[in-house]
Amino acid sequence: MGDEVILRAENIKKKVGDYEILKGVSIEVKRGEFLSIVGASGSGKSSLLYILGLLDKPTEGRVFLEGEEVDFKNEKRLSFLRNNKLGFIFQFHYLIPELSALENVMVPMLKKGISFEEAKERAFSVLKRLGLEGKESRKPYQLSGGEQQRVAIARAVANQPSIILADEPTGNLDSFNTRRVMEIFKELNQEGITILMVTHERELALETHRIVEMRDGKIIS
Amino acid sequence: MKHNLFLSWKFFLERKRQSLVATMGVIIGTAAFIVMSSMVNGFQNFFLKEALNINGHVKIMVEPTTDETEILREFYGEGLFEVLGYKPKEEKDSIRNYREIVRKYERDKNVVGITPHLVSNGVVIYGVKEKGATLVGIFPEKEERTLSLSEYLIYKRLEELEKDKNSVILGIKLAQELGIYEVGKKITLVAPSGEVYRLKVVDFLNTGITEIDKSRIYLHIKKLQDLLDKAGEVNEIVFKLRDYNLAEYYAKKLSVETGYKAESWQESFKNFLSIFKIQKIITNSVIFAILIVSGFGIFNIVMMTVLEKKRDIAILKAMGYDPKDIVLIFTLQGLIVGLLGGIIGNVVGFFILEWLETIKIEVEGIIRTQGFVLDRNPLYHAYGFIFAVLTSFLASFYPAYRASKFHPVEVFRSGG
Repeated sequence: MGDEVILRAENIKKKVGDYEILKGVSIEVKRGEFLSIVGASGSGKSSLLYILGLLDKPTEGRVFLEGEEVDFKNEKRLSFLRNNKLGFIFQFHYLIPELSALENVMVPMLKKGISFEEAKERAFSVLKRLGLEGKESRKPYQLSGGEQQRVAIARAVANQPSIILADEPTGNLDSFNTRRVMEIFKELNQEGITILMVTHERELALETHRIVEMRDGKIIS
Repeated sequence: MKHNLFLSWKFFLERKRQSLVATMGVIIGTAAFIVMSSMVNGFQNFFLKEALNINGHVKIMVEPTTDETEILREFYGEGLFEVLGYKPKEEKDSIRNYREIVRKYERDKNVVGITPHLVSNGVVIYGVKEKGATLVGIFPEKEERTLSLSEYLIYKRLEELEKDKNSVILGIKLAQELGIYEVGKKITLVAPSGEVYRLKVVDFLNTGITEIDKSRIYLHIKKLQDLLDKAGEVNEIVFKLRDYNLAEYYAKKLSVETGYKAESWQESFKNFLSIFKIQKIITNSVIFAILIVSGFGIFNIVMMTVLEKKRDIAILKAMGYDPKDIVLIFTLQGLIVGLLGGIIGNVVGFFILEWLETIKIEVEGIIRTQGFVLDRNPLYHAYGFIFAVLTSFLASFYPAYRASKFHPVEVFRSGG
């Protein structure tokens, strides 16, 4: 882990109607860091993740990704950054049911402009690494919950992002698969991928380099 | 683009039943368009082609006597007049200077042929049967040069009118109604003057247009002039033009230059043209309705896909797909339906037309044929395809646009 700040948010506020979800949150994520954000339900951790992941606009505040200030009005640039620099993993795998495991992993690569053949090759390789060899042609419904989440991880890392943003990635898994996912995250992190994980499970957070705790839309530690 | 097409194709393939139903709708719409266009235009083109071939493009005729009250007013000014009756004067029934008119317009580069007629009504009697008929006195050679009359004669014996002035050509339907089924039979013709003549049937006219075939009798103009006691007179001059679209222009021109009433084919057939127009409106409405229904089929499948795939749209956006990609994915899905439906609809339409051409049935109405008269214009296939693709594009665009507006965070927060 180096000192280079890969993702920085300054004084982020988010209001929905009259309700303020985030009340001036500032956070820095360093390259190669495995950071977790913990907090009770409604503390604003997912809202912060969506803003850091450029999926939502802050009402106030600024976000810098690899030194570039994000222009939340530029939809095209936001899409480019999400495709090239970010990888998402959610509590539910959100795999596209019409596509096989392999095709699901190929989807972000094809958007990046990688050729069909190369995307296929890379998807094979990532799935093999995550222990899904031989299951490439299966549809999501033909895979177990743990396998589905591993396909989702493969999809998130396929474009070699600068940072992976994971929102309760183990929230829907049993303890065996939770462990497996955490091991994969650690392996990916050791290879230099920055991971920002939102979780309400403190014991999982303890396995990360740094824990940021949120309550009522603020970082408290 | 290829990443969007890849997803569209997958969505299309994996939703087999809905895709099939929507594609079937487009196939039916396209095939119906091609078949109906070919049939309606085939019928109309056939009618117009035959009618123009036999009647020419413009004709000069003797103006019917105008309102007598107007004539009196011209002489005596405004006043109270009432015409209780009148007797038409003989000289109004013929075109006096017809030779000059023919000579003058034969030099016109837009005029292909001119043939003078003497037209009258008469009664034809065969045995105990009698029928009213239109008697058309012609110069056989001029008629042939101008209107290709032989083309419509069963035995191609137009020259018989020249050889034997006591011969006639009978419309085939008229002949059948009289009970004449072979040439050589003698008919009795009663002229408007009441005089009776015996004439020999030498051929039958079969244009396929019922109205003509059941009323027309051709005979040599000199014979008719004798019968009507109108030696050297004609009351109609028929013009064939290089381009039939010039007919209205030439009708006006001839009317002004000759002082006689000139009527274009559009004017002569205005009743039929109105019917054709209504027929086209009805046909187009039916086709439009079919296309709308197939359009709704596509709209339905794309809209359902979009609503069911909110979660996938959200994740695609999270993976960097921008709103334009989302619009493309779902519009392409509709276009795949349109392209496939358009292509298969074209093939189906083609084979239906092939099949219709083999059907031999007696069609008798405004026209008479031995089967369907089809206009096999490749443009109908092209239009059918374009309409299919256009309808598909329009039907899928709105759902696709709506999909592009989904906010991923709202979808994720609602649990997908």
